[in-house]
Amino acid sequence: MPSRVDRRHTTWHVHLVLVVGALVMVAPLAWEFLTSVKSFGESVRVPPTILPETWDWSNYGKVFEAVPFGEQFLNTVLMTAGRTAGQLLMCSMAAYAFARLRFPGRDAFFLLFLSVLMVPSQLFLIPQYQIMQELGWLNSLPALIVPGMFSAFGTFLLRQFFLSLPKDLEEAAALDGANPLRIYWHVMLPLARPGLVALGILTVLWSWNDLLWPLVANNDPEKMTLSAGLATLKGEHLTDYPVLMAGSLLATLPVIAVFVVMQRRVLEGIAFTGTKG
Amino acid sequence: MNNRWWKVALAATVVLGASACGGAASSDGPVTITYAVWDKEQVPAMEKIAAEFEKAHSNVDVKVQLTSNKEYWTKLQTAVTGGSAPDVFWMNGPRFQLYASQGVLLPLDEQIDAAKVDTGAFPEALVDLYTYQGKKYGLPKDFDTIGLWYNKTLFDAAGVGYPDANWTWDDLREAARKLTDPAKGQYGIAAAADSQANYYNTIFQAGGSVISADGKKSGFDDPATVEGLRFWVDLINKDKVSPTIQQMSDTEPAQMFSSGKVAMYYGGSWEAVGFAKNADLTGKVDVAPLPKGKKEAVVIHGLSNVAYAKSKHPEEAARFAVFAGSPEAQRIQAETGAVISAYQGTQDAWLKATPQYRLQAFLDQVPDSVPLPHSKNTAAWTKKAEELLLKAWSGEQDVTEVAKTLAEAVNTELGNEK
Repeated sequence: MPSRVDRRHTTWHVHLVLVVGALVMVAPLAWEFLTSVKSFGESVRVPPTILPETWDWSNYGKVFEAVPFGEQFLNTVLMTAGRTAGQLLMCSMAAYAFARLRFPGRDAFFLLFLSVLMVPSQLFLIPQYQIMQELGWLNSLPALIVPGMFSAFGTFLLRQFFLSLPKDLEEAAALDGANPLRIYWHVMLPLARPGLVALGILTVLWSWNDLLWPLVANNDPEKMTLSAGLATLKGEHLTDYPVLMAGSLLATLPVIAVFVVMQRRVLEGIAFTGTKG
Repeated sequence: MNNRWWKVALAATVVLGASACGGAASSDGPVTITYAVWDKEQVPAMEKIAAEFEKAHSNVDVKVQLTSNKEYWTKLQTAVTGGSAPDVFWMNGPRFQLYASQGVLLPLDEQIDAAKVDTGAFPEALVDLYTYQGKKYGLPKDFDTIGLWYNKTLFDAAGVGYPDANWTWDDLREAARKLTDPAKGQYGIAAAADSQANYYNTIFQAGGSVISADGKKSGFDDPATVEGLRFWVDLINKDKVSPTIQQMSDTEPAQMFSSGKVAMYYGGSWEAVGFAKNADLTGKVDVAPLPKGKKEAVVIHGLSNVAYAKSKHPEEAARFAVFAGSPEAQRIQAETGAVISAYQGTQDAWLKATPQYRLQAFLDQVPDSVPLPHSKNTAAWTKKAEELLLKAWSGEQDVTEVAKTLAEAVNTELGNEK
């Protein structure tokens, strides 16, 4: 039975490649963990030790002394939830309009929209800061959430998704007298679920990791996100790497937990977009 | 005595403030002042200084805001552009003139006079560093000089005597040769391509210059300057007593030193806390003054506390910025061991914070110190130096040639400043 042998052969090869890939992906995380339980001296030693000489768990406690972890965790969760909810709603509405509604200048608007994608986000930093300042939102939660509630990328992504959906269901709904808002909410959104999940995942990851904007917009430690708070652990001349690694690992855990719980959705979503956060 | 001093200062500033603002801005209500800093190690001291200030000014609340050094300037620049920078913030020499020339900073002369701070008690080079067009914008906060850190264990093993104040460049080369052991992957010294810690010092020791006194011309093509650069390049490529530039970009020289892979390391006074924290180094390292070239010289640099010109509470901001330069504040700061306080007589606490090292070496060099080279847009030409000098360090191109190209590039950048 040559065919069976062949298949086992391929599986073996594929598995080898996958195992190597998995090791490459896991290595930084493993290193992060190992560094987080080393002493300061050992963490900067060359050549480095792989396993810690003594397992020093106290670095995890020190994270909580160094930054207001609980508050920053909450800020990060609220920011991530707010941005994600905002993007799912607003991007899908805009995307639906661009995909299905007919209005004058639609394509011109869409082009204008796409041009936003071409501009590096650092360029928005100063104007965005000034807007937040005029609104009096600097150093507050709205400054973290509101500017991230909408994205040209999300709109583009969902528009392409809507375009790929058959028109029959909408037409049927329209015949039954549903207005565009109803069609959008009751017909299109349920159909667009894979697209929404994909956008949601990307937004969660992007928000959780966002560093520059939270750092610039907010000042007080208890108003910062984890990414910005952990960045302050990096000293000018001296960085306590074990504590920094312990903090970073703690900050990564929720994202890992979300992935484990929603593994299948995440994979489907990412496969759908063909991109990676 | 301090109390009375402050009452006088307070009375004076209230009068001054009232006349300056025509009584429009009342500062009787509670006032919050933000104070931006970038070094985590110093935050406890800064909070203590803030608390001390609040004791004397019950209506003022000073909030210390920490941003890591890497992101500090991006954030400050954004906030300045937006018109809402912190009321008081740390400033360094290379960036000072840029901010002062743009009108971002508040002149502090009146407050300094009112508080009767003796500016003669600070190293003169540092007071000058933060003076722009005759106005003082900040009192020196701290300073750092460079020292020769060495690994006693490696010296003992090689039977080489420890560095001392009489060492010359030749002594260093000689010792580095004896301390190099290729079999063990051990080198005598780390000839890093760092401006402040390495080549600026040897440039000045050779009698060269980086920027002319009027700040208009580069000194990189001066033969003496080239000699100061060649010192390092030869240690790597000729004597082979230092790791290559490639190795040093893979592993930081400080890490090689703390791991016993290099025996000598030019490092700032700021290294003391980090070495003290590293249990691997207990009893193993110490520091000596830099070996001299044609003459003694070391780079000195220090930060300053400056006030924001558009602060909503300019009086309080200026008062706090000046207070942070007062002897009592400087004493509190020195206790952390992180930085040397700038006010004369407040350095003892710094020496005592990490007594295991002969830190006096850093203070003894102050009389021969040269300020860190700077101009209005320092970053523009230091970037060129960083890029171009790598070619000399790697041995790809001769130092003289690189220095010539570099001098031209720096002159162009300096020409763009005006």
